[in-house]
Amino acid sequence: MFNKIRKKGHRKASKSDGAETPIPTNNAAPNPDVTVNHASRTAGAPSQPLSLDCLGHSSGVVEVLPLLKEIPLSERHALFIRKLQICCVSFDFSDTLKNAREKEIKRQTLNELIELVQSGSSKMNEIMQEGLVKMISINVFRCLPPAMHENTGSESGDPDEDEMFMDPSWPHLQLVYELLLRYVVSPDMDTKIAKRYLDHSFVLKLLDLFDSEDAREREYLKTILHRIYGKFMVHRPFIRKAINDVFYRFLFETERHSGICELLEILGSIINGFALPMKEEHKLFLVRALIPLHKAKCVASYHQQLSYCITQFVEKDYRLADIVIRGLLKYWPVTNCGKEVLFLGELEDVLEATQSEEFQRCMVPLFRQVARSINSSHFQVAERALFWWNNEHIVSLIAENRHTILPIIFEALEKNIKCHWNQAINGLTANVRRMFQEMDAELFEECQRQYEEREARAGSLEEQRVLTWKRLEEAAANGC
Amino acid sequence: MAMIDEPLYPIAVLIDELKNEDIQLRLNSIRRLSTIARALGEERTRKELIPFLSENNDDDDEVLLAMAEELGVFVPYVGGVEHANVLLPPLEGLCSVEETCVRDKAVESLCRIGSQMREADLLEFFIPLVKRLAAGEWFTARVSSCGLFHIAYPSASETLRNELRTIYSQLCQDDMPMVRRAAATNLGKFAATVEPAHLKTDIMSMFEDLTQDDQDSVRLLAVEDCAALGKHLEPQDCVAHILPVIVNFSQDKSWRVRYMVANQLYELCEAVGPEATRTDLVPAYVRLLRDNEAEVRIAAAGKVTKFCRILSPELAVQHVLPCVKELSSDSSQHVRSALASVIMGMAPVLGKDATIEQLLPIFLSLLKDEFPDVRLNIISKLDQVNQVIGIDLLSQSLLPAIVELAEDRHWRVRLAIIEYIPLLASQLGVGFFDDKLGALCMQWLKDKVFSIRDAAATNVKRLAEEFGPEWAMQHIIPQVLDMINDPHYLYRMTILHAISLLAPVMGSEVTCSKLLPVIVETAKDRVPNIKFNVAKVLQSLVPIVDQPVVEKTIRPCLVELSEDPDVDVRYFANQGLQAIEQVMMSS
Repeated sequence: MFNKIRKKGHRKASKSDGAETPIPTNNAAPNPDVTVNHASRTAGAPSQPLSLDCLGHSSGVVEVLPLLKEIPLSERHALFIRKLQICCVSFDFSDTLKNAREKEIKRQTLNELIELVQSGSSKMNEIMQEGLVKMISINVFRCLPPAMHENTGSESGDPDEDEMFMDPSWPHLQLVYELLLRYVVSPDMDTKIAKRYLDHSFVLKLLDLFDSEDAREREYLKTILHRIYGKFMVHRPFIRKAINDVFYRFLFETERHSGICELLEILGSIINGFALPMKEEHKLFLVRALIPLHKAKCVASYHQQLSYCITQFVEKDYRLADIVIRGLLKYWPVTNCGKEVLFLGELEDVLEATQSEEFQRCMVPLFRQVARSINSSHFQVAERALFWWNNEHIVSLIAENRHTILPIIFEALEKNIKCHWNQAINGLTANVRRMFQEMDAELFEECQRQYEEREARAGSLEEQRVLTWKRLEEAAANGC
Repeated sequence: MAMIDEPLYPIAVLIDELKNEDIQLRLNSIRRLSTIARALGEERTRKELIPFLSENNDDDDEVLLAMAEELGVFVPYVGGVEHANVLLPPLEGLCSVEETCVRDKAVESLCRIGSQMREADLLEFFIPLVKRLAAGEWFTARVSSCGLFHIAYPSASETLRNELRTIYSQLCQDDMPMVRRAAATNLGKFAATVEPAHLKTDIMSMFEDLTQDDQDSVRLLAVEDCAALGKHLEPQDCVAHILPVIVNFSQDKSWRVRYMVANQLYELCEAVGPEATRTDLVPAYVRLLRDNEAEVRIAAAGKVTKFCRILSPELAVQHVLPCVKELSSDSSQHVRSALASVIMGMAPVLGKDATIEQLLPIFLSLLKDEFPDVRLNIISKLDQVNQVIGIDLLSQSLLPAIVELAEDRHWRVRLAIIEYIPLLASQLGVGFFDDKLGALCMQWLKDKVFSIRDAAATNVKRLAEEFGPEWAMQHIIPQVLDMINDPHYLYRMTILHAISLLAPVMGSEVTCSKLLPVIVETAKDRVPNIKFNVAKVLQSLVPIVDQPVVEKTIRPCLVELSEDPDVDVRYFANQGLQAIEQVMMSS
């Protein structure tokens, strides 16, 4: 899965590399079809120059400089720092004509730096690396604009119009991300030195950006963070913990985050690499973060990735199936049918990897839920549940435990055949019913008998309940 | 199953119900926990029911939430305050569950119980509980503990207090940002209970830690602490410790932080005193009013009146007013709307001359705003300006604004303006109203949208109340009655509704002479819906008019309707007749 993303990153990079125009003109202004759909997002990004005092320079003039490869080695260091300084200047992208020349110079400079880092032609010393990371930080670590949902300053806010947000400063931002990616993946980079600059604080800020509404930005962040995780062994526990914190905040406080999907994609590949037997820490992560992620309203937006992570766990260690299944049951949606279909699909995947022993531990609550889903008046939910009986592994598990399962779901099957509105569901239910009948005719008849008995008693049971509570009320009133 | 003559075991009933598969039944039984407790009696509630609940915390979150809530008001059922401590263990368990709602409710209930408990019991039971939660392995317990310190602290001994402060300080530096955020959220509440000496040292150092947190989300909450802490500190300490922080925050690179500052800033003015307000807070506030981010300007604009109330009028005119002028033509409609909702309140602050000179042009330009919310916000606060400069200066611009809103294509806008009509009427006076607005009020009775017609009917009633029955006899009743012959039955229905509302205001005499004949006439309508509404209106008139009128006019009319071919008409007519019987019986 991840390689695909990487390739995409490369594609983007090569495109921008090729588009090198030497003379800055107004035509080379940033992408004109960038959608800017509210006022405050366009309202000027800070345009004052940010100085790089610590590097010994302070002027923020953006000017055309000679190419690094054209000057003698001895002067390259100073020129490199000077170029970083140019790239530290931020521009206002709400107005394409403003500073068009300077913008073009920065774009070309960034492209030159990317090429330099990629080619590995000149090894960067520590000062250069520090400056590079500092420049990248200044460019990408910004406060994200108000998100769609929290923005009241938007004009003509049509909620139906589901337009993707595109950061207007992307033309530069993209190059800076590309540069960071090249730096992180470059074979010359010594992680012992680089970890001083790409430190915990850097990683935290990178994670903050995952909330960006610009999908292109999240794509880069995902690739970069994953590479950092891969290269910097020392950061691994910290990154996992920081991702957990993002999940907890999303789950318990805000319920809003744009980057859950991307983070899960990274985790999917991390989980894939977990050694066996699995560490306690990883199991806790499953229980405390991954399973609760099923609770959120917007689970549909990242369910595929989440489901992949979850099944990875179960495939690695089948003994976790019981925990996972109970977890899913705990967060079972009450009214959201779309979510319920997703849950049924995920459970099927999990059951594929489940062994008999774990299955027996959770089958009672599991099939109580399945019975409810079979009876759902939303036909897609009922259909998804009944499709389980097309799965050989599941059917064999059910057959093995039919004495427990059939009594639980018998009533649901009868009800569907009697009064489900949907023809297809009637048919599917009849098939499942027949399957049980053929499996064990004796058991089937016994269930039928019990069901009829219960039906007959149902009314009196409810009466009994009302009566009991009435007597309790009386007892309470008398204070006995 | 217990039969009727078998003995009753309340706990067994509860256990049985809580085992049920249907969550609704489980919820119902938790909701009736007090019944079970009363049936058990106080002692058995303490010894059997509460321990059972402590163990049964593995249910659905919804059931747990109900339990957390019920336990908060359970003190009377366990034998009063001296036994309140038995309620702590189940709530302690609920403080550590995963779901935030449940934890919050459990903390709320614990605070409620803790604030009633005797001092000795707090020492023996409550404080150890807080300490246990604060040392919890999983963050949920630690988060919950943060909300309990302000209850525990006042009754603790000197040594215990030291310990509690140390624990809180650890929570402020917890490994998990979740816990640090909870500590930041509750710092103000906790600080209110801490002695001044420790406030200046311990609490302030916790505050400083939080303001420098590397997570944005924690620093954000520290902004709120600024105002809360400021209230408890001496002015000079506030200037020394809080002021620099808030000034810094007001220039934070994160708009979320600046947004919080814009919301909170005015609360600090009092705490730091007039001098620091002038030199530091006013410039900070002015920066926020001119912020790049619309969200920040919205927050700042919404506080403009509150802020100016604290300042001297000169400062307000000199520094804030220029920004207000800019904001009145801000590019974001929401900024203008926020400004319009508070700006009228500035009139009393600035006084008559400044209002006429400075504010009036702004009012007028906002009254012409293209966005209806802005205009509505101005109109809704008209009374505040009226007191200062009178309405005459505004009335020229008001009328076109009102008329335009009255005809807006969005019915919600029309509805909003109708609701302000009685206010406008009282401010503008009878004369203005007769000339300009009377026709509008009648026009709304024939609006296409039901909600508008409904509001219009209520509106004529409120006008009659405002200007008195005599005025209404001239300016409302004839016009309204005129419309009863409208060809559209929905409009006739609206008029019927208006009549029923007007009757109590107009009194018995007018009702009998003017309204009743019209209603009786309408009883012959061809549409059944009209007829059964007539029956309803007649019923509502019974208490207003005299007995002979009821007998002579209302009853015969209802009797006739009670023989109508339509079943609904008969039903409501019979209801009316029954109501008459009841009145007769009781009189």
